[in-house]
Amino acid sequence: MQVTVELFGIPRARAGVSAMVAQGANLGDVFEDLAVRFPSLGETCVSGRNLKPGYTANLRGEQFVTDPATEIREGDVILLLSLDAGG
Amino acid sequence: MQASFSGRRRHKLFRFSPFPICSETVMHPTPGYHGRYLRVDLSNGQASSIALDSQILRHSLGGSGLGVALLLQEQAATADPLSPQAALAFVFSPLVGSPLTTSAKFAVVSKSPLTQRINDSLASSGFALAGKKTGHDAIVLVGRAPQPSILVIDEGNARLEPATDFVGLSNRETQEKLRARLGTDFQTATIGPAGERLVRYATISHDGRHAGRGGSGAVLGSKNIKAVAVRGTQRVAWAEPAALVNLAKTLSEKSFGPATAKYRELGTAANLLTFNRLNVLPTRNFQQGSFAGAAAISPEEMSVARERTRTSCAACTIGCEHLYSLNSGGGSVRLEYENLFALGPLCGIDDPEIVLEASRRCDEAGLDTISAGGTIAFAMECAERGFLDVPWLRFGDGSALLRAIDQIINGKGIGPLLAQGSRQMALEVGHDTLDFAPQVKGLELPGYDPRGLQMMALGFAVGSRGADHNRSGAYEVDFSEAVDRRNVGPESAYLAVETEDKAALMDSLILCKFLRGIFVDFFEESAEILRLVTGWDVTAAELRETAQRIVTAKKRFNILAGWTPAEDTLPKRMLQTALPEDARSRLTSERLSALIKAYHLARGWSEDGWLP
Repeated sequence: MQVTVELFGIPRARAGVSAMVAQGANLGDVFEDLAVRFPSLGETCVSGRNLKPGYTANLRGEQFVTDPATEIREGDVILLLSLDAGG
Repeated sequence: MQASFSGRRRHKLFRFSPFPICSETVMHPTPGYHGRYLRVDLSNGQASSIALDSQILRHSLGGSGLGVALLLQEQAATADPLSPQAALAFVFSPLVGSPLTTSAKFAVVSKSPLTQRINDSLASSGFALAGKKTGHDAIVLVGRAPQPSILVIDEGNARLEPATDFVGLSNRETQEKLRARLGTDFQTATIGPAGERLVRYATISHDGRHAGRGGSGAVLGSKNIKAVAVRGTQRVAWAEPAALVNLAKTLSEKSFGPATAKYRELGTAANLLTFNRLNVLPTRNFQQGSFAGAAAISPEEMSVARERTRTSCAACTIGCEHLYSLNSGGGSVRLEYENLFALGPLCGIDDPEIVLEASRRCDEAGLDTISAGGTIAFAMECAERGFLDVPWLRFGDGSALLRAIDQIINGKGIGPLLAQGSRQMALEVGHDTLDFAPQVKGLELPGYDPRGLQMMALGFAVGSRGADHNRSGAYEVDFSEAVDRRNVGPESAYLAVETEDKAALMDSLILCKFLRGIFVDFFEESAEILRLVTGWDVTAAELRETAQRIVTAKKRFNILAGWTPAEDTLPKRMLQTALPEDARSRLTSERLSALIKAYHLARGWSEDGWLP
């Protein structure tokens, strides 16, 4: 499955882009793919098939998800962002 | 919470000349504390150094908790907050002066002239350190000085100095002039022209930071006090200093980790694009949840076009403060998410220079940027809908935003109306404008649209000081897998209680909330910190009880001040219309009521929110 990953906050700063295309059948696949394509992003935000503490993901702008087994659909949009929202 | 105070000794204050505070010696103060507070009656010239019972300290800790206890003792709930009878407390904490990162903080606690309810605002840096070194855990001001004055507290001595030559000066000018007059080893908390004019959302400023919300600056202004200057050398003992230093090192190391990277590298302004993407960025007085001009004013974009520098409060290893240069000159401006949202999208402004200049003017004059932006945005909508005859006041007009801010500061034009905040303004404008005044209990909403963040909606509605994101961290739940943020049910209300309790503890210990991500078990680790500081055999369970007691004490204050269940709600706009970008972001009054009832029951209160 091909998905679009939109990056916000630290993930965007690390990758140097605001969005990218990634591959995978589930969330864990996508995280692994991101780490390969953008090692700096992998070092900061991704640990294997999971996100590191301090980061979270949102599926289609609706549901916050971190379980790597979360299934995704072709064309899905995943937001990757810093966990703390306070300000 | 029942406060217990003893050992009061009063001394006559000779106005505008030094007067000694011959305080009662506290024989064995609890480590971390001096065990006494300074009470200054500005009307009759009496100052007292009053012993604090160790039980009240253990029950209320410091900061917000101790402040509320002191205000209840002063019977401040029933006083007009701008009258001489009102009390204003600067409160330190057991951790102030310790090697723990982010612990140099103080609370300013009073009844709010904006909400007529409890108001506890926190600020950081050297004032906390120097204030505690005066030998007191808190400084309580009552009465009214006969003329504009500076209250100088120097070790065990206090005095009032005339401040007629300070009238009208900005916060920065006041602090610079005081440094020249008193010396650089004094730390000062000041008000700007907004506080002098009793703008109901005026701040108290220290070193560029603000005790910002709820109008504590107006309370200080009503007492004819332009500034409080503190200096001292009295240190407290620590129960286990070696272990405390080790723990502080560990905490500092953790504070350099990923949990604080956002604050350190980008600042809170990084929320803007995230919130915009999720359609929860309040825009044009909460008429929309996204803003077409968001990218132009985002920190990511501004960093490209402007010089950006980073600073930190005293004793902080995070360094969350990001300052952006003004292209027009005039130095740099501190930019946080809240002033960015309130003076940007909320007013329809997409010009970063305008947002920065508006922020600068608010900071200098001492205006809470959230309430200033919220009230002006509300006025813009009133004007556009024909309820207010101010044709120049329109969404998206940067010059109109700056003009409105100037009029609040100088008291001209529409300024006096805006200076009252959106709730009182709506009551005067009439029609159905109260339905879209962006406030709860009179306090303007921060930058989280409650329709798309419904746990935060609950936090706003029940908040003791009104719509507030610092006393309730309920948005953390919305940004997690624990709930569907657009369809939160009453079974999740206990999560709002937990975030509120956590905030109450952080605000009383005091530690910066930006540290919260580095704790695995916040209550357990806080108990360890407090054990090392005070020597108390405190446990996580006790701290949970303490946090609940502090929240309940705030509620008790509000009930004494006239609270009724009807004020725990949101503006009708939030309960009658969905966000236009997202039909699922709809919050009905029935759902909010169910959440509020569940929250009250989770707190052990009656379904309507009365205390047992």
